Amino acid sequence: MIRLQNIEKVYRTDTVETLALNSVSLDIAKGEFLSIMGPSGCGKSTLLNIMGLLDAPSKGQIRIDDQKTEGMNDKQLAAFRNKKLGFIFQSYHLINDLQVLDNVELPLLYRDTTAKQRRELAAEALEKVGLANRLKHFPTQLSGGQRQRVAIARAIVGKPEIILADEPTGNLDSAMGNEIMEILLNLNRNDGTTIVMVTHDENMAHKTHRLVRLFDGAQVQ
Amino acid sequence: MFKHLFKLIWNKKKQNFLLISEMLISFMVIFAVFTLVVYYYSNYKNAMGFDYDKVWVINYSNSVKSTRADSLSLFYETLKQTIKSMPQIEDASFVSSNSPFSFNQSNGGVEYKKRHLNSVDFFTADNDYPNVVKVKVLEGRWFGKQDIVYKNKPVVINQSLKEEVFGKESAIGKILGNEKDKEADKMRIIGVVADMKIRGDYKPAGLGLYNRLDTGSFKWIGTILVKVRPTADAAFESRLYKTVSNAMKESNVEIEHLDNKLKKINQVSIVPAIILLVVATFLIINVALGLFGVLWYNINKRRSEIGLRRAIGATGKSVSWQLVSESLILATISLVVGSFFAVQFPLMNVFDMPATVYIMAILLSVVFIYALVLLCSLYPGKQAAAIYPAVALHEE
Repeated sequence: MIRLQNIEKVYRTDTVETLALNSVSLDIAKGEFLSIMGPSGCGKSTLLNIMGLLDAPSKGQIRIDDQKTEGMNDKQLAAFRNKKLGFIFQSYHLINDLQVLDNVELPLLYRDTTAKQRRELAAEALEKVGLANRLKHFPTQLSGGQRQRVAIARAIVGKPEIILADEPTGNLDSAMGNEIMEILLNLNRNDGTTIVMVTHDENMAHKTHRLVRLFDGAQVQ
Repeated sequence: MFKHLFKLIWNKKKQNFLLISEMLISFMVIFAVFTLVVYYYSNYKNAMGFDYDKVWVINYSNSVKSTRADSLSLFYETLKQTIKSMPQIEDASFVSSNSPFSFNQSNGGVEYKKRHLNSVDFFTADNDYPNVVKVKVLEGRWFGKQDIVYKNKPVVINQSLKEEVFGKESAIGKILGNEKDKEADKMRIIGVVADMKIRGDYKPAGLGLYNRLDTGSFKWIGTILVKVRPTADAAFESRLYKTVSNAMKESNVEIEHLDNKLKKINQVSIVPAIILLVVATFLIINVALGLFGVLWYNINKRRSEIGLRRAIGATGKSVSWQLVSESLILATISLVVGSFFAVQFPLMNVFDMPATVYIMAILLSVVFIYALVLLCSLYPGKQAAAIYPAVALHEE
């Protein structure tokens, strides 16, 4: 589903050159739930951003669903992200000025859908994460766990084949973290969604199919 | 997408209120400026209606002691003949003090079939007036010797007054006045002349009515208009001055040129417009900087949202378009409210200006505000498009 070949990422400033990823190669199968672990600054998020086409590698190739992503222009990349990928972030990235339902609808705004379809799909996604009764709430009226569930609903509303989660339980207590993990496991199990999750939590990582460890930008496991 | 943007704007109404108010105030100021500009321009485009070139104004203080109208009339007619006999003079005419480009006014009302019209300029002039200022007689005739004796006072009106009262009908022979007026006080229209912009290039001709100068008028008349030939120079002006001064020993005599008077009166008209324009320019610069600053600030405040939108499928262009659209929607709200107030001006006939002037000013102000908002939001929008999603999302 996702194939990374010799990915290298170098951040350059006028005086310093930092190697964030060093020749990382990874094959992620369709329906796999993979977790990435490693100390802070080891390149986990950079790797996830590259998989999510939010950042371009300095070297190497990425193929997602057998499609080469090099050479795609901004419009093609945006459309690809919209259809194939769903994102979950540690700090949720919800728009506080929009109600829960409107937040979940967001990815569909960039597709050819009617308002009615968007409403229905968003309500369905929210039901899936157990927030059917919070449609008209604003994010500020929700707990951290509920906000993350809204973010998950937003990630799955467009029915993407891949979900990229960057420390989805990082801001939550263990009970809420477990709830979120359960939702992700269900998505993987029931819908066959491929999930790549960056985490610091060993327990969460061990619940996934495979664990990849990074250290100083290189894959060590 | 528009519904989504409206929702976003509505949910941020408190933050947007100040921006909308700023745009609304700017619109009203711009509307005032454009109203003045359009009004002045539309007046400027209209023909002057008469020839002021080589026309001199002789102003004198009436010091002739005779109380008998006939003697006065004889004296001034003799003076006029003396002036007309000078080789550089084409023609001369006695006129009331509200002569072209003079700052004087003489207003009154007229009535026709119980309809009363205020603010009509009343002029008094003798039979030679059209020969001096070359005003066109459009209907009927100007005053002549046959008007010395009359049942109803003969008057000539200008085209604006004719159209206002009679529309497309002919005005000749119509009687102006109240039923209670004596027959001699009622006014019979004998002619219609072209509108004369006597207040300069930028002011309208207004409604005008001309009375014939009679022997009794010389008691208060103090102006002679003379049309001079191209050969008339400063030496001639000096001779003319001496001729008039010698005839009226105790009078203060002053000779002015109509073209110079036009420049003066134009300056007086245009100065308030220039002041308003300068004030408006500073205001617009402030508004533009304010708008630019707010939009720039918004982008920095919304980096996370912009990063998220890019991640879930928005292109750089669509993010930029979204921010520009939001500004334009805010501008539209301001303009709808502003236009509601602005449209009251033509509806309530405020300042007695033509409705077309207000409508044109509203349209120009709307275009101007949209252009200003577009200009101020384009660069911040471009900056937003350049935000790198991975960086923006990581910052949060």
